[in-house]
Amino acid sequence: MTMQLISANHASAAAATLAARANRKARGFCSGVYPITPQTECIEQLCAVEIEKGSVVRVESEHSAMAVCIGAALSGARTFTASSSNGLAYMAENVFTAGFFRLPVVMMAVNRTLGPPWNIWVDHGDTLMLRDSGWIHLYCEDNQEVHDSILLAFRLAEDERVLLPVMVCQDAFVLSHTMMMTDIPDQAAVDAFLPELNLPHRVTDKPRVVGGLDFPHQTEMHRKQHIDAMSRVIGVYAEVQNAFERHFGRRPPDPIVPYRMDDADLVIVSMGTTASTARLAVDAARERGIRAGALRLRMFRPLPEAALRAAFAGKRRVAVIDRNSCPGLGGIVWGEVRGLADPGAVVQNYLVGLGGGDIRPEHIERILEDLAARQHAGEPLFMESGE
Amino acid sequence: MTLEIRLHGRGGQGGVTCAKILASIYARLGKSVQTFGDYAGERSGAPVRAYTRVSDAPITNRNKVYAPNHLLVLDPTLLGDDVVAGLIPGGLLLVNTPKPPADFAARFGAYRVAAVDATAIARRHGIGTRSVVIVNTTIVGAYVRALGLPMEALEGAYGDLGLEKNLAAAREAYDAVAIAEVKTLAEAHHASAPPIHGSEVLPLTRHVESAATGLKTGSWRTQLPQYVAHLAPCNAWCPAGNDVIGFIQTLLHEGAPAAAEVLRRTQPFASICGRVCPAPCMEGCNRRHHDGAVNIRSLERWIGDHAPPAPRPVRVARTPRQIAVVGSGPAGLAAANELAQAGHRVTLFEGEKELGGVLRTGIPSYRLPRDVVDREIKAILDTGVLASTGHFLDHDDLDALAVEYDAVILAAGFMRLTPLDVPGARLTGIEQGVRFLHRVNMEGGVRVNGHVVVLGGGNTAMDCARSALRSGAASVTVAYRRTLQEMPAIREEIEEAHREGIKFLFQRQPTAFLGHMQIGAVELTEVEMGEPDATGRRSPIVTDRSTRVACDHVLLALGQSADWSLLLPGSTVVAGRVRNGGSDTNFFVSGDFATGEGTVAHAIGDGRRAAGRVLTALGEEATIFVRPDPAVAVSVEKIHLEHFEPRPPAIDEQAPAVERIRSFAESNQGVPDMREAERCFSCGHCTRCDSCLVYCPEGIIERTADGYLVGLEYCKGCGICVVECPRGAMEMTPV
Amino acid sequence: MNEPVLGGMAHTAADRPLPLLRAGNTNCGGCGMSIALNMLSRAIAGRKVQMVIPACCGIVTAGPFPYSAYGAPVIAATFASAAAVATGLTRVAQSNGDPTRVLCFAGDGGTYDIGLATISAAAERNEDILFVCYDNEIYGNTGGQRSSATPFGAYTTTTPGGKHAPKKDIIAIMAAHRIPYAASVSMAHPEDMMRKLTRALDLQGFRFLHVLSPCPTGWKSEPSEGIELIRWAVESGLYPVLEVIDGHEWTIDVEPSFSDGALKTFLEHQGRFSKSHVRAEDVRAAIDRVWLDLRARLGSSAATPRT
Repeated sequence: MTMQLISANHASAAAATLAARANRKARGFCSGVYPITPQTECIEQLCAVEIEKGSVVRVESEHSAMAVCIGAALSGARTFTASSSNGLAYMAENVFTAGFFRLPVVMMAVNRTLGPPWNIWVDHGDTLMLRDSGWIHLYCEDNQEVHDSILLAFRLAEDERVLLPVMVCQDAFVLSHTMMMTDIPDQAAVDAFLPELNLPHRVTDKPRVVGGLDFPHQTEMHRKQHIDAMSRVIGVYAEVQNAFERHFGRRPPDPIVPYRMDDADLVIVSMGTTASTARLAVDAARERGIRAGALRLRMFRPLPEAALRAAFAGKRRVAVIDRNSCPGLGGIVWGEVRGLADPGAVVQNYLVGLGGGDIRPEHIERILEDLAARQHAGEPLFMESGE
Repeated sequence: MTLEIRLHGRGGQGGVTCAKILASIYARLGKSVQTFGDYAGERSGAPVRAYTRVSDAPITNRNKVYAPNHLLVLDPTLLGDDVVAGLIPGGLLLVNTPKPPADFAARFGAYRVAAVDATAIARRHGIGTRSVVIVNTTIVGAYVRALGLPMEALEGAYGDLGLEKNLAAAREAYDAVAIAEVKTLAEAHHASAPPIHGSEVLPLTRHVESAATGLKTGSWRTQLPQYVAHLAPCNAWCPAGNDVIGFIQTLLHEGAPAAAEVLRRTQPFASICGRVCPAPCMEGCNRRHHDGAVNIRSLERWIGDHAPPAPRPVRVARTPRQIAVVGSGPAGLAAANELAQAGHRVTLFEGEKELGGVLRTGIPSYRLPRDVVDREIKAILDTGVLASTGHFLDHDDLDALAVEYDAVILAAGFMRLTPLDVPGARLTGIEQGVRFLHRVNMEGGVRVNGHVVVLGGGNTAMDCARSALRSGAASVTVAYRRTLQEMPAIREEIEEAHREGIKFLFQRQPTAFLGHMQIGAVELTEVEMGEPDATGRRSPIVTDRSTRVACDHVLLALGQSADWSLLLPGSTVVAGRVRNGGSDTNFFVSGDFATGEGTVAHAIGDGRRAAGRVLTALGEEATIFVRPDPAVAVSVEKIHLEHFEPRPPAIDEQAPAVERIRSFAESNQGVPDMREAERCFSCGHCTRCDSCLVYCPEGIIERTADGYLVGLEYCKGCGICVVECPRGAMEMTPV
Repeated sequence: MNEPVLGGMAHTAADRPLPLLRAGNTNCGGCGMSIALNMLSRAIAGRKVQMVIPACCGIVTAGPFPYSAYGAPVIAATFASAAAVATGLTRVAQSNGDPTRVLCFAGDGGTYDIGLATISAAAERNEDILFVCYDNEIYGNTGGQRSSATPFGAYTTTTPGGKHAPKKDIIAIMAAHRIPYAASVSMAHPEDMMRKLTRALDLQGFRFLHVLSPCPTGWKSEPSEGIELIRWAVESGLYPVLEVIDGHEWTIDVEPSFSDGALKTFLEHQGRFSKSHVRAEDVRAAIDRVWLDLRARLGSSAATPRT
């Protein structure tokens, strides 16, 4: 165990490396990688380390990066890749393929604005575009969480009850390139935490077609099996949290992370690093006597619906911050959670920090002010925060 | 009114278009229509469905059709309960089938059954390919007739859809369709949509070995490959009826003794024919069009010379007969052999002291060593044939034979020589070539001097020329009145004669012999070749340009013919049997005596034929040898020449010309080994070369003990095996 | 040709015990791809294989889940991804010391067009993959649209007047990657085909085989004449049968006669050419140009031999 001052990109690579090495007694590790800002640091580091029984393939596109992971995963290897923004858009076909094939690929996705016009800064629209790809989505808030999420993502993805790929998402630059002290565990501890991967549907030399023809009824049932697997994730996640805590002495966050919610009249819902800012704003508001609280949505897929309903119970005013835009609706997160609040509650959508606009506490304070004054939810409110 | 129509066909038959045509016709009749197909991963040949809905009201239903009023089955092999399921009782069941509708009455009596052979009609009209016939436009004609719809609506629809070219086929189906009305009234049983089943579907997260689909694609085919032995040209061309391809392939795979056994089934003269036959089989050989005919003659010789004598077991005749054969040349010997094999008692009558006829008297020993003749004749005698030699029979003798024997075969050969009626023909030194050869062959020690001129272009001419050279002639010239191409002599004989220094003069006709008592020169007049006659042979036109060629000896080799004075006056020959006084006698004729075909092989064939005729006439079971028609033999177009690496034929080894002209020792040594047999294409006869097996896209051709078997469960009938057979030993037959 | 064909090994103990393509598949009658798979099966013989097939007729061949017409494991890759999915498989096999040979089996669309960048990258990395392109010169699975492998003049549903551009020279493209082995294969020359398949299976690194594959449905030809068409294509010089070692040693394996008769027959026996009225004269100049290039690569200054 060492404490290192590193970026979340490097923390991701470190976690992936540990997980890769941990499968050395099984079918090893394989990764297809392709650079894209702001994820590139991660795959650069992956290319610089030695992985016993593993290879990192420098492919020609994100589409192929995921394809290599698909091939490797089908051969029973542990697989990881990283991407961002338009890279994810280009990769999309194979992102869905990995999902439909029920392969436990883990991908670190740095959330970056989709272009053109080109913009390298944070926006959640890229990974949310892949909302229905059948992957588990985790959105992180700090360096340690990114690292730990990647480690636990392998255990979650590879669990026989789950067998789904996991996307571990983090905000561009604000997290990906920001260095903080990060606790990197020993290999032995990771070996103990991560069981060797024994993919039940791995391809051998026996005749079998993976991804051939499905007739409608077969697709119906395969979709249902996928849905059922997703519905088991929250339960398995809790087990993985416990195991993680046992092995590493710290507990990864729950699917939703409440803050000063118990008596809160005003609730701020957000994802990623915005949640840290929201906590600052909540504290400031509390000092002014305003009963504010914050709720971070860490797990977006499966959507922790029950936990969200419970958290919203009794709350009359909810602000949902979307760092993405869904033209014609508003924000994607708002669209997802608005129906989970109490009937009659005001659930107002705020589009903030698009294209990497720096969300500061005062933006959240303005939201609180706006929310407090509302009797009814209105059109999604667009707030400028950039320079 | 609402009509629902369902079509069942196979990918490639045009089922979806067929449904569209029906919709188009109803649309022209002012109806509201809808048409669509089932889309999946179907391929040419796979079952497909298509649907048409017709109504007076606008159509809003977009479901598939589960209870059709009309059902069209474009492929009869699809016709099963699953296909007919849901058809409303009394509804129309239109089937593309060559069978009459009555054949379906028992099974589908609750429906109006209409039947039309749309495949045959469409095939006749060239719609689609041979294996994938597109029947859609044809069967619609039958539908229109069955429904009593106006033909104008069909014509209009075909015009709209650009299908005018297929109208004729549709009209033919309109006329041809046969309809059986409903036989039995059944309760309406509307089949509903298939139940929504909650059956287990294997998760994608489980490893299960995939089984084969089990799809029986054999039902797709419209034609079927079959292995068929076709007549090989060599067999068709052999006048003796030898199984040429059989002995070559047997030689190749089983060796000379087994091949000799194949030959003995037809004749016992492998070593003789392998030396002297003009080998028409090689004329017919398809390899001629590739890199030279297979040297079949020398392969036959190889077999004869390398197989130990093994007389065939003689069969036991039901009624053993006594048969006399007059003449022991190849025809007589072949007839005697065939009869003796069949278990009859045969006596050969030969005027010369030894058996063999022309084999001994005519053919020089440098071509046919006498020990070879002796050996093969002995094999015949070993089967129990008796011989009487040294006495030429006259009419009285023959009369006696006719009484003593059940039948008499006259195989006396050519006895009459063609004379030359020109000035000076009686000069000393002019001799019939046949007589010269007789002297040389039977007396020995014959010597000639100076320059010998041989007149003629057949094998006798060559024998004379080469024998003269070996008998001391200083030089020999052959004069022939046509061209080299038209010379009837065996090609190799001409070539060897040329090599031995014999000169040839072509398009020269002798017009006079000059000399005082003794021949001194022959006048040869130039001949021009005229137009081809009815036989294709150009007739010579004698010019006035002549030259004189000095010579010391002239040998006439101008042809021979049979001397029928042996037969009683008033005799006629019908199918090889002599008739006299309006009734059959027990005389039969055979060989050159009968046919004048002039080769050993022809004589053997006719000897066999005569034996068959005798036995048939005597009420025995026998087959009369008939030469197959070369026109039905496998043509070179059926042979995949590119399958066969070019490889020149094996050439016979010859003693050096300077040496061989010094004696009558055999000059041709034949081929050094039997590898020439490898060059045989095996036309029309499977060699188990695996081409069909290797190229079958379905991989379902398997070897059997004696060939191959096509897996009918899966064969789609594509026909690649047939096209790729290198030797035309397969064919497609309609299912 | 030696008889029996392939030394009589087909369907014997020397052959693959389970055929790569099993009977009961839904390929069209006379499908060239089926024949190519059968030949590949024989060359594979006792080797362990894993196959990757992108979108193409070849993946429909497998049939409905959970059955498979393939007698080997097959992964259905997305259209462009065959070489990348195969990379994953082969890398993991290598890490595990597993002798499995990884094959891609793709149509011309997945090779010449949408898959080309991925193939190029895998070739550049010299991944241990055998990539077999069965080229039916058309998007057959979608009903017959042009691809960049469609030859000049051919009718397709998207080139109703005949295609104007000539087909890509895929062997030259692959050879330019300096891969250990690139070869074009003629199904009409089974011994040469078997030799190349076996060689390609034995070599390490990225190997590429181009198999011109008759498609009676797309070519609008008689199903029985598929191999004949290939034979005519080879004879006429239209389809050079060659191999390239390490990108620079070029060998012509079947010297054509450049027969105009074969070219004419090849065109006349296919509806795709008769529909667009392409004549032999229209094609001959392009053939000559291809062969001049080829001769130059072979280091020979000889002009195209004509007979």
